[in-house]
Amino acid sequence: MSMGSAPRTLAALPLGVVARIVSIVTDTATRHYLMAVGLREGDTAEVLRRAIFGGPLHIRAECGAEFALAKALAEQVRVESS
Amino acid sequence: MKKKDHTTVAVLFVGRPNSGKTSLYNALTGADAHVGNFPGITVDVLEADVLAKDGTVYRVTDLPGIYTLCTSEADAGTDEGIARSFLERVKASGERYLVIQIADATKLELALSLTQEILDAGHPLLFAASQRDELDRENKVLDITILARGIGAPAIALSARDGQVKQRLLDAIANALGTFITPASQKAEAEPQQTRDPIVARELVAKAVRHQDQSAKPQGPTFTTKLDAWLLHPIIGPVLFLGLMSLVFAAVFLVSDPMTALIDRCIQLAGDAAERQVGKGLAISFFVQGVLGGAGTVLAFLPQIVILSFAMELLDASGYLARGAFLLDRGLRGLGLSGRAFLPLLMGHACAIPAIAATRIIRDPKERLTTMLVVPLMTCSARIPTYALLLSTFFAHKGPLFRALIFVGLYFVGILLGLIASLVLRKTVTRGKSLPLVLEMPAYRAPQLSVLRKHVVRTGSRFIKDVGTTIVIASSVLWLLLYVPMPGAAHREGPAVERSVAAVVGRSLEPLTKPAGFDWRINVGLIGSFGARELMVGTLGVIMGVEGADQDSAPLADKLRSAKKPDGTPAYSSRTALALLAFFVIACQCLSTVAAIRRETRSLKWPAFVLVYTYALAYVAAVLVYQVGGLLGFA
Repeated sequence: MSMGSAPRTLAALPLGVVARIVSIVTDTATRHYLMAVGLREGDTAEVLRRAIFGGPLHIRAECGAEFALAKALAEQVRVESS
Repeated sequence: MKKKDHTTVAVLFVGRPNSGKTSLYNALTGADAHVGNFPGITVDVLEADVLAKDGTVYRVTDLPGIYTLCTSEADAGTDEGIARSFLERVKASGERYLVIQIADATKLELALSLTQEILDAGHPLLFAASQRDELDRENKVLDITILARGIGAPAIALSARDGQVKQRLLDAIANALGTFITPASQKAEAEPQQTRDPIVARELVAKAVRHQDQSAKPQGPTFTTKLDAWLLHPIIGPVLFLGLMSLVFAAVFLVSDPMTALIDRCIQLAGDAAERQVGKGLAISFFVQGVLGGAGTVLAFLPQIVILSFAMELLDASGYLARGAFLLDRGLRGLGLSGRAFLPLLMGHACAIPAIAATRIIRDPKERLTTMLVVPLMTCSARIPTYALLLSTFFAHKGPLFRALIFVGLYFVGILLGLIASLVLRKTVTRGKSLPLVLEMPAYRAPQLSVLRKHVVRTGSRFIKDVGTTIVIASSVLWLLLYVPMPGAAHREGPAVERSVAAVVGRSLEPLTKPAGFDWRINVGLIGSFGARELMVGTLGVIMGVEGADQDSAPLADKLRSAKKPDGTPAYSSRTALALLAFFVIACQCLSTVAAIRRETRSLKWPAFVLVYTYALAYVAAVLVYQVGGLLGFA
């Protein structure tokens, strides 16, 4: 499968692949909170693991901080391969 | 020069969670920090006075950890909302103040957007990069001057483990306060940039933080990554998690039981000594059984509260709690909650009061409310004496393993009922979908014992003060009800207690409670434990004419077993015991919890709701269990 530049979402990112966050497509308040916590547009991010049954994702952001992120939110974070 | 004695400056500690703020605050304030009494704020905000060299008093406040100052109306009860309104209030008051932002030196970029927000809001700032020892370990060096110039505010680098850190902080605060008096000279030096922009922030950090060793290899997996491979493993993770939780609760029983027995004994000796000194009589009886008995009950619970609060603070400070939330989020989401509800629900197994306060970590207001309404269903320490009494009285013949299983089963029933209640509430009274989970997973670290110790001491003293007052009052009122004879009942025969106000009320409730197998004596016990369920055993003791039932329940157990109804048949059976257990599992027999819910929700509606729904459900459950028990052929 070719790594096209078409943005995928963080939710669909395979484990261990580092991708760049293109945009966070959600309401202003949530977007601001996510950026404040450390998931920022322009930074890279990596999915370390997923909880079973559609649970949250364990993400590591470029700055080194790690978060649990709900799958619903991860589906609103557009990424492209860096 | 103007004398600066008794000048007070407000110093506010601000920063992300896990930034090392608590350790630095601890290092600066030592043992003096107490929970401040701030209007409209129900969370623990620590405050302490620290004396500077020139006699100025710094009133140092530790605000909750926050990620941003930009909040909306709906966030008023969250940590962010609380911190923001606190800062605005201090600014509006006109007094001199300084905001110290604590940031993890190894993750400076993350902190800088908050820095910009603080400066944009017009607050005077001192930037403190903490955990400098970690930075040293990573072989990096921080040029604090570059950072200070880039931010546009004074900056300092610190480590809480440095013996000199308190003095360094005090000096930095004094310098920063001096700087703000001469803004002109400060502006000349600064070339502040808009660090809210992540790119700008990253560039600034890249300039300020450099590797010592230019040929440094990229770091291998950290300790946290390696440990997470086990603790968050799809199979091993949950198993270890269950194991850890079981360990915590086992510790409560194994360690706190003997300590509780010891405290009980001491209280009993004190009561005996008082009686010997002053002789028996009504006033002494009131003091010994009402007040001292109540106080003894509170103290007897202290070991459990201390151990559980220590365990939970350890789990939180070590970083493991976030992993628990990660594992449980999906399951809790199905019930209308989220991973964040895990901590309050867990704490409810020690005592519901701190658990209710802990719900503020849940950002969604409806989810927070639901969790508060459901926490009373968790099996708290105060239910244990009643469980123990009933199990040993009516199931002694079944052996210890059976009783242990029932005990564990009762814990699970509480959790199960809480989850079902949450599901129902989220579809009806507190309808709505939860905010999706965003939770930082901090690096694992060994918590500082002094910080842990102080937290436990605070929780313990808060428990004694809040719950203790309620129990002593409830116990004293109960004593009155049990010893004051009901006017008009003097003609009845039998022990004096059967003519008391409590007994008369108990009898009048019998038609209502008969379907559940409760007679007037149990009714009196339930009346007595309305304020605090810890009082059930003692009340039953008094009504059955057994002295000191709390300390040694064997005589009470015998009395309960041999009690007879007027027609000569046994008054109580395992059927009754099961029905009473069902009642105890559900009913919110704790006025302190109700008061805590009132404080957190700032209304009377929700505490009333909790009382009504838990008592109604408890009654229905008791009746069901008793009737079904009869159908199944129980005695």
